[in-house]
Amino acid sequence: MKPYRQIAGGLVAMYLGTGMALAAPLKFGIIDTLSGPQSSTGQLYRNAMRFVVDHINSNGGWNGEPVQLLEYDNQGGPAGAADKLKAAISDGVQIVGQGASSAISAQISEDVRKYNMRNPGKEVVFINMGGDALELTGEKCHFHHFRVSGNAPVKIKAMVLTMKEEGVLGTKVYSINQNYSWGQDMEQAIVDAASFGGYAVVEKTLHDTNKIQDFSPYVAKIAASKAETVMTGNWSNDLLLLMKASKAAGLKVRFGAVFLDQPGNIANAGEVALGHYIAHTFNAEHASPESEKFVKDFTAKMGHFPQFIEPQGTWGMMLVAEALKNVKAEKGVLNVNTLAKTLETTKIKSPLGEMSMRAADHQAQLPFAVSVVSKAAKYKQDGTDMGFKLLKVYRAEEIASPVQASCRMQRPN
Amino acid sequence: MDWLLVSVMNGVVYGLLLFMVSAGLTLIFGMMGVLNFAHASFYMLGAYFAFSLQARIGFWGAILVAPIIVGAVGVVVERYFLRRVHQYGHAHELLLTFGLSFMIAELVKLFYGNYPVNYRIPGSLDFAAFAVGGLDYPAYRVLMGGVAMAMFVLIYLLLTRTRVGIIVRSAIYKPRMAEALGHNVPLVFMGVFGVGAALAGLAGAVAGAFYTTNPNMALELGVMVFVVVVVGGLGSLGGAMLASILIGTITSLSVGIDASLSDLFALFGARQWAEGVGGLLTLKVSSTAGTIPFALMLLILLVRPHGLLGEKG
Repeated sequence: MKPYRQIAGGLVAMYLGTGMALAAPLKFGIIDTLSGPQSSTGQLYRNAMRFVVDHINSNGGWNGEPVQLLEYDNQGGPAGAADKLKAAISDGVQIVGQGASSAISAQISEDVRKYNMRNPGKEVVFINMGGDALELTGEKCHFHHFRVSGNAPVKIKAMVLTMKEEGVLGTKVYSINQNYSWGQDMEQAIVDAASFGGYAVVEKTLHDTNKIQDFSPYVAKIAASKAETVMTGNWSNDLLLLMKASKAAGLKVRFGAVFLDQPGNIANAGEVALGHYIAHTFNAEHASPESEKFVKDFTAKMGHFPQFIEPQGTWGMMLVAEALKNVKAEKGVLNVNTLAKTLETTKIKSPLGEMSMRAADHQAQLPFAVSVVSKAAKYKQDGTDMGFKLLKVYRAEEIASPVQASCRMQRPN
Repeated sequence: MDWLLVSVMNGVVYGLLLFMVSAGLTLIFGMMGVLNFAHASFYMLGAYFAFSLQARIGFWGAILVAPIIVGAVGVVVERYFLRRVHQYGHAHELLLTFGLSFMIAELVKLFYGNYPVNYRIPGSLDFAAFAVGGLDYPAYRVLMGGVAMAMFVLIYLLLTRTRVGIIVRSAIYKPRMAEALGHNVPLVFMGVFGVGAALAGLAGAVAGAFYTTNPNMALELGVMVFVVVVVGGLGSLGGAMLASILIGTITSLSVGIDASLSDLFALFGARQWAEGVGGLLTLKVSSTAGTIPFALMLLILLVRPHGLLGEKG
């Protein structure tokens, strides 16, 4: 027994020793879906956070120390996220990141708000990398929630403007979306954009989320409506199956789909995907020194070029990294309220253009790209001969959606 | 009218696909009393195996060989896993298959990755069989329906018209007596499990190309397959067929119905009130298409717990 005890004693001494020698390092935590059906998206957000944390550390860390990234698996649901948030807070995490699913973002945001109210002086901040539901920056907005991705009106506006300019929009648009907060936002955005898009929404459909195997009945409905363009916020299987079913039925429509670039989509859809449009936060073929550097650095670290939600996660966290540069440690630790206030005025130059945080509702103002699936694209998707050909880049202010009146933010004094 | 025709055809073919998967599940349950949670995983394995094989032996070869491999996996599962826990009762068997379904899903992700794979119908089959109401009706859907029908007829004949069928049925009805007459009952069980798995594998190989082949496909279809088996009656092949087609057509037709409860209230001049209340009253039938099968299951469990064609007790 004795040797074991000595080793154990030695370990405890070492642990205490390190604790005394340095102040506690700043901890980032990602609480995302890292296992189960939707893990493919959660893992990409983790890539983004890993990339930024490495970036911060290679530039000297924060307060003279490397920052840490702790990873928590919410197992695909809000309940798991609530548990893991508690665990993260007790592990000393001060900056929480998450992106896959608005439902989970809503849970984390609410829990962070309540925790901060009950524990003044020990606040944590939630960086929402992809929970795009409008209510999070609307009636549920609060001081410690920041959304660094876009939202439905912004994405639809970018897409509609480009499609109209290219003359492919037509006058009859069909809106098909998933029946939860995100899909409902999309439907509203598609209806609202009709005025400047110069189209009529001929039919609106909301369906169950990722439960439907056979989309042929919906395709029959789209055909009956004589729509020329189908706009959808569907992601994952709901998008793939919809596109495949319309191809199988020989339906001649153009899709405007904001999640078309999810890995696997293009490979699985095949030629069906050609000519469809997408609005996204980055396109690797964007020709600027910043974009080329980002693509090169990211590919070197992750083994693939940045795609799908990786850029928005990365540049969202880069905004936080920039704000951190201007925040000094107070007694060796980060004051989260100071960080949040600094973040409200932080601006960075992201590869597509300037990106900033709007103080009124904590909705990031970021540029968007609109692309079309084409064989002429520089970066091919999923090992196919197709990719996203960049058509247009919009500056943040060209497509910004107004602050929602329902957001009444309480600020700490 | 065209819309109705297309919707019914779509519904029937989707129903036939559901039948292909649920046939094996209901057979295994009827014969062995094992509720196999991993059954939809066999469906997924069928699709992935066919995807891997088609590059080497072509699409048709893959469709034939993949189910055989899945059947072999099924045999191994029965022989080396289920048989060991059989003596501890059904709860243990259920837990075992439940765990197995997770393991298969994770293994698939390990080998094929998190995202859908590039498994598509071959160009030679990618044409329209005919056109209705301005829409093509894909030949591949007709093929899927045909495969399912052929499968139903074959299993039915096998069970009712052949010696093998007699032995299988007697092994289920009176296992000890069948054993005393010199039949190897454990072998029969193993065979049934293997065939059940192979049928699911065949469904996966055929449907994986038309829909998508991804690590969630077992989860997505698995729930619906259980609904089919419960509605049709556990253990009844005919019931599975009836329930599959019923669920397929109802789902397909409900997509096109934009009515809500407020339309019903409109008959009494209370539309405005109903729309003011909102919630359930303004929910369109079309947006609940995915939920209707579950409501049907609930209804069946309440009024006819043994299912449409299931045997009592």
